[in-house]
Amino acid sequence: MSAGRRHRLAGWLFLSPAILYILFAFALPIVYNVLLSFEQTSPATIADLTAPFAGLANYRFVLNDPTSREAIVHTFEFTAGSLIGQFIIGFALALLFTLRFPGRTLGRTLVIVPWLLPLIVTGVIFKFLFQLEGGAVNQLLMDIGLASHPIDWLDDPNLSLWTILIANIWLGVPFFTLLLYSALQDVPVEVKEAALVDGAGPWQRLRLVIVPIILPVIEVTFLLGFVFTVKVFDLVIALTGGGPANATQLITTWSYNLSFQEFSFGEGAALNNVLLILAMVCAPMYLLLSRGSLRRSAGAA
Amino acid sequence: MTSRLERSRALRWLCTLAMVAALVVLLFPIYAVIVGSFESTETLFSGTYYWLPHGATLDNFRTVIQAQSGNVLTSLIVGVGTAVLALVVAVPAAYALSKYRLRFTVIVVSSLLICQIVPSIVLATSLFIIFHWIHLVNTYPGLIIADGTYAIPFAILVLRAFFFSLPNEVIHAARVDGASEWQTFLLIVVPLARSAVITVAVFAFLNGWGDFIFALTVLNGATIVPITLGIYTYLGNYSTDWGAVMASAAFAMVPAAVMLVIAQRYIASGLTAGSVVG
Repeated sequence: MSAGRRHRLAGWLFLSPAILYILFAFALPIVYNVLLSFEQTSPATIADLTAPFAGLANYRFVLNDPTSREAIVHTFEFTAGSLIGQFIIGFALALLFTLRFPGRTLGRTLVIVPWLLPLIVTGVIFKFLFQLEGGAVNQLLMDIGLASHPIDWLDDPNLSLWTILIANIWLGVPFFTLLLYSALQDVPVEVKEAALVDGAGPWQRLRLVIVPIILPVIEVTFLLGFVFTVKVFDLVIALTGGGPANATQLITTWSYNLSFQEFSFGEGAALNNVLLILAMVCAPMYLLLSRGSLRRSAGAA
Repeated sequence: MTSRLERSRALRWLCTLAMVAALVVLLFPIYAVIVGSFESTETLFSGTYYWLPHGATLDNFRTVIQAQSGNVLTSLIVGVGTAVLALVVAVPAAYALSKYRLRFTVIVVSSLLICQIVPSIVLATSLFIIFHWIHLVNTYPGLIIADGTYAIPFAILVLRAFFFSLPNEVIHAARVDGASEWQTFLLIVVPLARSAVITVAVFAFLNGWGDFIFALTVLNGATIVPITLGIYTYLGNYSTDWGAVMASAAFAMVPAAVMLVIAQRYIASGLTAGSVVG
């Protein structure tokens, strides 16, 4: 065997566990999910790998079922609201951290902490804080006189979507702060100084000089934020379980409910595919933004 | 001149104040868990929220240690298992994708990026039935394979970015000295990449430790119960044992805290490296 061939063979051997893993844990379930969405499943068919063909019945169900439609709308509202909130707060914090002041290094470390907690833990903590009676949020609002009586954050159908939104914004702020801060670090000092000399005010400097430079990172951050947010499940299951009266039902939680509570795996799979398509909308842009890393050819050692 | 200096000093402290305000909001839930885990049932159900510790009881921890120690052990096994799987799969793969000229490298890296986008519920639904078929439901290997879906694409991309920074001369030198491809990888490359490998292992552990959705779906019995499921079962529709919830939540936060102290310097760089792949 020539040295070149042996070298290539070694490369493929190093790569083979990953390829097997991707095929088994990603490709197979995605393909199987598509098959499942065209099957007439019932609790009795779970033990089998296949069930009778159902045509488009599951998709027809998903598009006509009021709760599924609500879940799709909620997912859009929840995602848009989260991204806007996370960006505004995260960017403000990132800008703050670029200034020099006592405690900034420690602060930057501590900002990450919420991001490291298990999501279900965050969910139960927020459930505790948003309780009707004895919850910290209501206690604060009443202590400072903003509310005269406790607000039913979790069980009022008109409020609960806002509640999960607030919790999710809290959850995503560290991620936005971190990414935007590292981008701001890369803005050359000369550029900022040149803008100062030209007499640009802080707002102009931000809008006309800094934002255009870090725009690619802002795009990536929004993209990843979008991907994270359409997947959110644990937080909502812990906080509201999709209730009250499905007011916080998202695609993920309703799909779980269809498959694992009602054992309609076919319908769950059809709704999963709606979610998958929604998430995949940003795949081309993600690949485009990652083209630097994709093009980077092997170092050929 | 002095007034200007004083003004800038005042501004600096104003910044500190703004940061502290933000941190209070971001960290308050963690404070609430720690304080809450030491409160008595009467305090937790009094209908008033006490901002400062109001009592100090170990009852919640007694309850939880009795009920959840097995679950903590389960979560440790799952976390370590996920970290081991991620390293075994990701380290060689990242090496191959950065230091070998292979066809399809672009396709493999693109599919890893796509894998990061796939929502877990999509995988969970299918994996449950597939696992049912091959008897992996309710097993550690099944759960660990599922939990790897969070960690592995991320791990390969982070490690690949790191391997690009390793000079090729090091690898050439090892070959000239007669080391095989495998020896070069294991004895030269992996030790040089240890900081990146630690980062990836830490994240994979936290993914396995904190996973809830796969635990809820591919485990369906009482035999294997990670701490995340244990906490969830405390949440009742009408009554929740808040003392037990707070104490078990405090337990579930420990690894994150430990990791933050041990791997602090790696975490921020690991996060950004994995995310801004451009």
